[in-house]
Amino acid sequence: MKQEELNNRLAEIRDKLIGIEQKPNRRIFLLCECENSYAVNKFLFEGLGLRFVIVTGIDSEDCFEILYHYANDETGCFVSIKAFIRDREHPEIESITPMLPAGEWIEREIHDILGIGFRNHPNMRRLILSDDWPEGVYPLRKEVKK
Amino acid sequence: MKALKKSVWVFHVNTGACNNCDIEIVNLLTPRFDVERLGIRLVGSPRHADALLVTGVGTRQAAKRLQEVYRQTAKPCVVFCMGACAGGTGIFEGAYHVAGPVDRIIKEVDPNAIIAYVPGCPPKPEAMISGVVKALAAI
Amino acid sequence: MGAVFEGKGEGKEMSALSNVIFWIAVIPGTIIAGLVASWIVRKVSALVQWRVGPPLCQPLYDVMKLMGKEILVPRDGQRTVFIAAPLVGLAGVLVLSMMLWRITAAQTAFVGDVIVAIYLMVLPSLALILGSSASASPHAAIGTGREMKLVMGYELPLVLAFIVVIIKTGGQLDLATIAQNAPVWSVSGMLAFLVSLLCVQAKLGFVPFDIAESETEVASGVIMEYSGALLAVWKVMQSTMLVALPLFLVMVFLGGFGVSSVGAVAAGIGKYVLVLVLLILIKNTNPRLRIDQAMRFFWVYCGIALVAAVVLAMIGDCYDIHWL
Repeated sequence: MKQEELNNRLAEIRDKLIGIEQKPNRRIFLLCECENSYAVNKFLFEGLGLRFVIVTGIDSEDCFEILYHYANDETGCFVSIKAFIRDREHPEIESITPMLPAGEWIEREIHDILGIGFRNHPNMRRLILSDDWPEGVYPLRKEVKK
Repeated sequence: MKALKKSVWVFHVNTGACNNCDIEIVNLLTPRFDVERLGIRLVGSPRHADALLVTGVGTRQAAKRLQEVYRQTAKPCVVFCMGACAGGTGIFEGAYHVAGPVDRIIKEVDPNAIIAYVPGCPPKPEAMISGVVKALAAI
Repeated sequence: MGAVFEGKGEGKEMSALSNVIFWIAVIPGTIIAGLVASWIVRKVSALVQWRVGPPLCQPLYDVMKLMGKEILVPRDGQRTVFIAAPLVGLAGVLVLSMMLWRITAAQTAFVGDVIVAIYLMVLPSLALILGSSASASPHAAIGTGREMKLVMGYELPLVLAFIVVIIKTGGQLDLATIAQNAPVWSVSGMLAFLVSLLCVQAKLGFVPFDIAESETEVASGVIMEYSGALLAVWKVMQSTMLVALPLFLVMVFLGGFGVSSVGAVAAGIGKYVLVLVLLILIKNTNPRLRIDQAMRFFWVYCGIALVAAVVLAMIGDCYDIHWL
C-alpha cells in the first residue's frame, strides 16, 4: 500500500502504542508494551497485510526489547514493532506463532539465546544451543561473561 | 606411504563454518582446477578418505561429531584445517559456542594426528592445492 | 577348465608353450588391463570436460595406497560376509574374464557358455548386495535396496537381448560360433545392442545408473563401510569388470575378438575401445537417475524395445531376411 495510506492506517492502532517513531530511510518504529504486542502484530499482519520478515531481541540494561519487523513491499518501507519487557526476572511475552507459523523457530532461538519465555508457543525446544549446554544460561544476556 | 602422496582421497567436514570455505572447497573440486591430475578425489565416506578437509570453528555441537568422523577415517590420514576459523577460531575468538579450534578437538582423540593448516578467509583454491601438496611432500 | 574347453573344440589348437603362457598370464594380465581400462575411463572423462586428467599409473597408485591403510570392520556387522563379499565378487569377475579370454585366444568353446557367462556376470552385483547388507549401516542399507532393485531392473533386458542374438545366429549356444557373426548389423541386433549397452552401464555402476554407489547422496551407499585392502578389492573388481563386460559385448554383438592375425587383433582392440568410449560418453553426458526412473526405464522402454527386437528377429529368421 502507498505510504500515505500506511501512515493513515497506522493511526488506527494508536491507542495500543506508547509512541510512533519515523526514522529516515523509510523505517517506522511502533513502540508498545509487551502486553499489547500480540494485538499490534495481528493488526499489521492480518489487518494491513504486511509481509513478516524477522523477530529480533535486544538486551537493554533495564528491560528486554523484542522487535517484530514487517515489510511493505510496494514502498520499501519497514515497519518494526518495539515491544518492551520491563520484568527482567521472568521475561515473558505472547508468542505470535499461533498466528504466524514462521515465528516458531525464531522464537525458539530467542528463548535459547536471551531466555525470554513465549506464552502459547506450541513447540518450545532447544534450537541452536548445543545438546550439552547447561539449562538456564543464556549466552547473549549482558551479565553473562563466559 | 609413498603411494599416499600420489593418491589422496578427501572428505569434507563442516564443523560450523559460515560456508565460505565450503564453497571454496567445492570450487576446488570442479574441472577448472582439475585436482584429479594430482590424484585428489572427493569421496563420500570418511572410511575411504585419506585427508579430512575440515572447515569452520569447532562448535560444541560439532566437536563430538568431528571426533567420531576422525576415528572412522582409516589411518594413516591427514587433517587439513581450512581457513582462519579452523586454524585458530578466526573471528569467533572467545564466543560462547566455540569448543576450541579444530586441532585441539582432534588432538583430544589422537595426540599424534597429522594436522596441516591452510590459512585464509576463505583460502583460495590455489592456496588449498599448494597447502595439500606441501603437506604431502613433508610427510 | 582346460579339458572342458578342448572337448568341443572347433577352432585351431594352441601349442603347449602358448598354453602355459596363457594360463600364467591371464589373471595378472586381466587385472593390469582392468587398471588401464579404468585409467582410460578417467582420462577420456577428463578430456571431455576440457581438463587434463590423471596420469597413467593413477589407478595403480590408488590400489597401492588402499592396501596400506587400515581395515575398519563395523562392530555390528557380519564379519565373515563383510570380508568374503568383495573376494567372491572379484573371483566371479576373474573367472568370467578367464573364460572369455580362453575363448578368444584358443577359439574353442563349450555349449551353453553364454548361459554360464550371464550367470557369472550376476556374481559381482550379488557380492555387492551381500557386502553392503553385512555392513550394519543405514546408508549401506539404502544402497542395498537400490542395488537389488537395479539388478532386478536390468537383468531381464540383458537376457532378452542375448536371446535376440541367439535367434539371429541360428540358435547356437556357444560363444565361439556366436562370435563369428556380427548381429549388430540388423535392426533387431542394433536394438538389442543398444539396450545391452545400457544394461552394461548399469552393471558397471556408471552414471546414469550409479544409483547404488551414489557418492554424494548416500555417502557411497553400498561400499560405504569398506576401507583399506577390502576397498582395494572392490576397486579392482570394478576395473576388471571394465575389461570383461565390454569384451563380452564385443564377442556377442560385434563379431568377436579375432587372434588370427595382427590386423584381427587390432580390429578387436578397436571394437573394445569403441564400446568403452560409448560407455564413457554416456557416463559423462547424463545426470543420475532415481531408482524408480531407472526401473521404469528398464522395464517399460527397454522391455518394449526388446520385445519388438525379438519379434523382428524371429520374423527375420523364419523368412530368412538378414537385415531384420
